[in-house]
Amino acid sequence: MAVDKCYYLIYVYRITVNGFRIGGIVLAKYILKRLVYLVIVFFIVSFMMFAIYNLIPSDPAMVQLEPLRKSLKTEEFRQRYLALRKQLGLDDPLVVRYARWMGFIKDVKGKHEGLLQGNFGYSVTFKRDVVDVIKVPMANTIILNIISTIITLAITIPLGIFCAVHARKPVDSAIQAGTVVGYSLPTYLIGIVFIYLFSVLLRLFPTGGAKTPGSTYTGIQELLDRLYYMCLPILVLVFTGLAGMTRTVRAAMIDTLSQDYIKTARAKGLKEKVVIYSHAWRNALLPVSTSIMGWIIGVFTGGSLVIENTFALNGTGRLYWTGLNSTDYELVLAMQMFYCLVGLIGVLITDIGYTLIDPRVRIDK
Amino acid sequence: MENNNTAKKKEFFLVRWIKRAFFPNKEMDIYAEEQLQSPFRLVVRNFFSNKLAVLALIIVILITLTVFIAPNYVVLDLGEQDATLVNVAPGYNMMKYPSALQKNGVRDIAVGYNYSVGVDNTGKVYVWGKSRISQVVNTAKVPDEVMEADIVKVAAGADHVVALSSDGKIFCWGNDRLGQCRLPLDIQSNNRRPKFKIIKIEASDQFSAALDDEGNIYLWGNENFVELWVKSDLQGHIKDMALTSAAFVLLTDQGEVVAPMPTSSSTVTKIPEEAKSGVIAIEATTNTVAALKDDGSVIVWGAYTKNENLVPETSSKIVEIKGGRFHYTARLENGELIGWGNDRYEQASVPESVKNADIVDFYTGSFQNYAVDKNGKIYTWGLKGFICGTDSLGRDVFARLVNGGKMTMTIGALSVIIETIIGVILGGIAGYFGGWVDMAIMRISEIISSMPFIPFAMILSAVMGTKVSVEQRMYIIMVILGILSWPGLCSLVRAQMLAQREMEYVTAAKTVGVKESRIIFKHVIPNVMSVCLVSITLAFGTSMLTESTLSYLGFGVPLPTPTWGNMLTGANNSVIIQNYWWNWVFVGAIFGITCICINLIGDGLRDALDPKASGR
Repeated sequence: MAVDKCYYLIYVYRITVNGFRIGGIVLAKYILKRLVYLVIVFFIVSFMMFAIYNLIPSDPAMVQLEPLRKSLKTEEFRQRYLALRKQLGLDDPLVVRYARWMGFIKDVKGKHEGLLQGNFGYSVTFKRDVVDVIKVPMANTIILNIISTIITLAITIPLGIFCAVHARKPVDSAIQAGTVVGYSLPTYLIGIVFIYLFSVLLRLFPTGGAKTPGSTYTGIQELLDRLYYMCLPILVLVFTGLAGMTRTVRAAMIDTLSQDYIKTARAKGLKEKVVIYSHAWRNALLPVSTSIMGWIIGVFTGGSLVIENTFALNGTGRLYWTGLNSTDYELVLAMQMFYCLVGLIGVLITDIGYTLIDPRVRIDK
Repeated sequence: MENNNTAKKKEFFLVRWIKRAFFPNKEMDIYAEEQLQSPFRLVVRNFFSNKLAVLALIIVILITLTVFIAPNYVVLDLGEQDATLVNVAPGYNMMKYPSALQKNGVRDIAVGYNYSVGVDNTGKVYVWGKSRISQVVNTAKVPDEVMEADIVKVAAGADHVVALSSDGKIFCWGNDRLGQCRLPLDIQSNNRRPKFKIIKIEASDQFSAALDDEGNIYLWGNENFVELWVKSDLQGHIKDMALTSAAFVLLTDQGEVVAPMPTSSSTVTKIPEEAKSGVIAIEATTNTVAALKDDGSVIVWGAYTKNENLVPETSSKIVEIKGGRFHYTARLENGELIGWGNDRYEQASVPESVKNADIVDFYTGSFQNYAVDKNGKIYTWGLKGFICGTDSLGRDVFARLVNGGKMTMTIGALSVIIETIIGVILGGIAGYFGGWVDMAIMRISEIISSMPFIPFAMILSAVMGTKVSVEQRMYIIMVILGILSWPGLCSLVRAQMLAQREMEYVTAAKTVGVKESRIIFKHVIPNVMSVCLVSITLAFGTSMLTESTLSYLGFGVPLPTPTWGNMLTGANNSVIIQNYWWNWVFVGAIFGITCICINLIGDGLRDALDPKASGR
């Protein structure tokens, strides 16, 4: 067992140092396979989304003709209505409409104008193209998530290792008890409590919003202003992320520390620091890396969706919520596709990263 | 024959499990017991040695029982809301009069929205109940000049108090934003140098009235709300007035009830014929007016919605009448008190102790009643307060808390059951058969798990839940949660299955010729379930969280049906977070404790199941 592990450790080392020279072809094949799989899943998911979207009772033809209803006779109106439905392609089967929306076949105007051509639709609420609507919120969400992720990881990884090394001691139990609170409470409740503590009582941060109302800052000042408004959301995201990640890191680390090769390393008289940071930690990283990615995806979609609503922060989650509430379904559909893409790419990155670190995964396939 | 059968009948499996877990077979000696200890019993023993987890289990059981039993007693009326009971702080002090008032003897008591004002025989003013209207306005802040004066009469409005001193001065304090305390010029000058004697004061929500001994009425308050004008030929002939929340009527010295202006258009100013003669007193609730005639009959008119018009049959004549928000209390000639109208807070049910006492005076307003007997003892009945306060629509937070808990827990539990059924069946099949079945199931589960959970649940809920009833929507949400969350459990069961199917007992079962479906669900799944138990427990917590998040975002169970999630939606602004903390603290605390405990149970189970942790 121990020998096996050592062999793999060396193998990992060689792969990472020598690039893809050893397993390059296998890896390329694997990535290709995953990519094909991703594309297939993307189309399945997008078809499902499109089908769900089409369940919504809406009739663009009726909307267009409604102003003419009074000036036309009933029979004439009916004919015009049916003609318009045909012209807009509303009576076509779902698959055809899907293909048109995706851009596989020509649309009613005779052009390839679908999702694949970069046409994400038109937002009724904002009276602009979805692409333009999404830009600013997207930037906010990305900044919010990147900062909170970095801070969370910077805290949780050392903390998790610390807990694992001191497992079942009072310190560990205390941290465990603290973290269970963090991941048991709903995000919005933590948000409310934090608003109460930091905005109402201490008056440190604003209660919500994305920038100082009416401000005309530019350059670095604008960035600082934005960051200032993001402080509290980031704090909440870090607090909620703290619990889960610390537990993951701790569990992985405890598992690794009970392996035989750690005993071997200790037996041959290595310093405890070397054992922990050089032998144990690297192997513990494997399961952690998957959950990090999963967690980031979760935060990016679900977590920031709630946070942005609690703090009225102009991000993608808030936009999605607004879109759903104002039944702006083209916007919602585009955002949903974006979320799916984030999820799928996240899974792909995890898988590839996983095989890079741990070749066993690839060999097993 | 039949007897034999029933005797042999196996006990229900849960009973067997519990018996085996808690009542070990006494006849067995200690070594045999050690050897025969079942893994299940080991897990139970490990679990119960973990004090924290047991405590968590007890708390969760208690909360669950409360949440499922209490709604039978704390019945929630979804349509119920009351503008006067908005954001009432928690506590039962609405009728907790100061003891000094009882000691010195009551001169007058007036009831405002959620507070009461009293004057004792020395002319001192007391304010009790929920007198804090906002951060600045507090009716309990009685001005110094009032404290020095010898007050004889008080009247209380929504957020202002009017007081009359023995030398005829009128004082007014509280909220003045809408002119509630802007005394008319006549009264202001009278306050300095009395020209006439004020004998009666009344206060409605946002306006007040004073009557002098010459039969003139003076009105002040929010003029956007009420027309504060009286036909000039009525002045000098007024004997009494009755103020509803948005109108008022007058009683002339001829015993006729009249509208203040011929153009008045309120329902209460349409005076019925019977009330046009022989009336001795008039009183008002929020939307109705009652006139007491000299023959003891009572005529009620106006917009009655809560049975204010159903005057009960009485044994003797009614001699005095007072009006609350939606109820009347009256005194009969023989001294007995009766009440009618809205009885939601038992404000119209006169208690036995009051019936037996010798009542000399009684005061009614809002949802409260006070009665004083000849010894000066004060009796109270009606609304005491709310244990957890009320929310921004005047709904009882406690009632919503227990009813919402029932909703949240039901949804959590049922969605976990759906998730477990799908996850175990698909995971079992995938793990046992392998091959293309496994491949297909795992791909489906990957597709579902790659879809972001909350956005997807939101869009499903938005699309499917638009035109259905609350109940159907609740089921839709359960199904959505169940369908979206099974992949985790599925892959867990599959992994366990892969290990189990290589075991000898499966081979044995196959050799004997047991059907495959029977092997999976009868032989293997029970072995896997203990591991799944952890995942199911944690999933229960997660489902509750997700449901509440969806409800919080407005895509779960819609208002007014309460859940722990949508009760917190209203708390999403700094004013409520700061000033009306009871709107979110109680829900947040109970929900937080429940989730923490469920997670602790899950952790405890995991430790109990982990052979490494048990030290064996």
